[in-house]
Amino acid sequence: MEKLLEMNNFFKNIIIGLFSVRSNLTRVILTASGLTIGIFTVSIVSAAVSSIDKEFAKSMDYYGNDKVYVGTWPWSFDFDWWKYRNRPKIEESSLEYITQYSEYITDVSIKKNTWTRATYGNKASWLQLNGVYPSYQDMLSGTKIENGRFFSQNEWDLQRRVIIVGGTVRDGFFQGKDPIGKKIRLNNVTFEIIGELKKQGIGMVPGGTLDNLVIMPSTTFERILTRWGFDELVLQTNPEDIPLAKEEVEMIMRVARKIPPGDDDNFAVNSADAYMKQFNTMKNAIAGMGFLVTGISLVVSAIGIMNVMFVSVRERTREIGLRKAMGATNFNILTQFLSEAVAIAIIGGSVGIALIRLTVFGLASFPIPNFNGATLPISFDLLLVFYTFTICVFIGVLAGLIPARTAANLNPIDALRDE
Amino acid sequence: MAKSKKEIISIQSVSKIYNLGETVVKALDNVSLSIYDNDYISIMGPSGSGKSTLMNIIGCLDVPTKGKYKFKDELISEMDDNQLANIRNEKIGFVFQTFNLLPKLNAMQNVEVPLIYSSLGRKERIERAEEALHIVGLQDRMTHKPNELSGGQRQRVAIARALVNKPSIILADEPTGNLDSKSGNEILKFFAKLHKDGNTIIVVTHEESVAKLSKRRIDIFDGKIARDE
Repeated sequence: MEKLLEMNNFFKNIIIGLFSVRSNLTRVILTASGLTIGIFTVSIVSAAVSSIDKEFAKSMDYYGNDKVYVGTWPWSFDFDWWKYRNRPKIEESSLEYITQYSEYITDVSIKKNTWTRATYGNKASWLQLNGVYPSYQDMLSGTKIENGRFFSQNEWDLQRRVIIVGGTVRDGFFQGKDPIGKKIRLNNVTFEIIGELKKQGIGMVPGGTLDNLVIMPSTTFERILTRWGFDELVLQTNPEDIPLAKEEVEMIMRVARKIPPGDDDNFAVNSADAYMKQFNTMKNAIAGMGFLVTGISLVVSAIGIMNVMFVSVRERTREIGLRKAMGATNFNILTQFLSEAVAIAIIGGSVGIALIRLTVFGLASFPIPNFNGATLPISFDLLLVFYTFTICVFIGVLAGLIPARTAANLNPIDALRDE
Repeated sequence: MAKSKKEIISIQSVSKIYNLGETVVKALDNVSLSIYDNDYISIMGPSGSGKSTLMNIIGCLDVPTKGKYKFKDELISEMDDNQLANIRNEKIGFVFQTFNLLPKLNAMQNVEVPLIYSSLGRKERIERAEEALHIVGLQDRMTHKPNELSGGQRQRVAIARALVNKPSIILADEPTGNLDSKSGNEILKFFAKLHKDGNTIIVVTHEESVAKLSKRRIDIFDGKIARDE
């Protein structure tokens, strides 16, 4: 019962605090808007980072966690391009060495890359082309043949003009109708569509959008598309063997290319996990910067609240004296002013949440152009609301503590005498 | 006459000393005083005489440096802040020269303030506040804000606020100081009525006319009681 009464007293002081928030609404809203901006940007940054993360992981599926790639350039965000530009092209012949000597590589394919103009009737589009071995059928990752079939060994041998197309071709060229058996022109040569890949949505890896992809026999690629492009070796292994496989492949490549001991590699052995690591470093840098900047804005808003609380205490010194004379304890006064600060913070945070909500709605209803109808994925959930309120209460208490303590420790006689 | 009554306040050899760096100010110097139930006392003295200090000590806003202060059976001079707050809440009703009403609250809410720091429920608080406003004759001004009331009415709201916790003493500091003589007289008449109804009233003043109406007069000079009759 005693406890209950104490709680009752506690809430009464909170109500007094809230009352003074209501009577200074303009000032409160202005002060709270700092926190609104802070909360809004924090949420946007964290949503953006987690979205980038998700999208990146999706994109990485394209490269697979069970594959090693050999190319001219390392997959890296810090391009020392002058080091790589004069490297020799990747030779298909290296694959023979790898198949012959490697323990960890179970399957191999060349992957020839280029972009070309594709036309159907009066429609045109730029598509990414891959020229691969028939074995690549089993090495597809992040997607699969959803409709039709892959090309056969025979078609590869005969350099047949058959293609497997990504998910956008159906909508882009055929109004959503089945594209199998249709003929489109690539670089002014007619190809027949024999298979269709499952649609993925947007990806973020350069050259990693599966939906704009066209796969064809590497023999056909070589004969017809002599345009610029680059070759990669795609090597199949098991996910747990990736590090060993990479070391092994590097050795074999050095031998194949007769690189003397001590000389640098003139090729790069890549895998998705290394890329992922690179990406995580970059992501953490972005997140770090974002949270630093928004963290500063939260601190600034806390200072704003603290300032207003000091003003509030100053303005109401007599009221504090009076309340103390009427029997308010130091704790009563502390609670009153703390709840005022927390209330300001929560008002700011709530408006912030409302803004985020609106932004999420807004983004959801405006598809981003050139991204195949995909929307910017910002997640909004109850957890965010919970975090925001926790942060707001924390900031409110932090900002209000010193002013509230000042108020609580005022001597009632001096406070009453205040003009 | 006083002997037959119950003693409420017993102040025994109380001193209040302010140490202001090099100078030591004895605001109260070895003062002893008893206050009895249903007293109507005026405390007079020029400014700087120590009457405010005495009032603050009687009102439990301050504790003496030396000496004993007993309120009924409780030893105030040994209490901590929270206990003092409790005593102020339950035992003492303050009336100030400048009314000290909270401008954003209406009459009713102002009267309710002391009750908020007691453990009463909402319903009982409202009943008590209404009752107190009835006593001061402001039952039809309950929802008025202080700036919608005259000076005399404001002071009556303040008196209602002092009465609302049914205190043992009412402590008024220059209650008529900010009022014109007509409103001031009304307030004084009201004090007389409260006294007749059995309340114990202590008025701090420097106006002879106010002091005349009281039943007992204490003059303070240089921190000492110069007269008590």
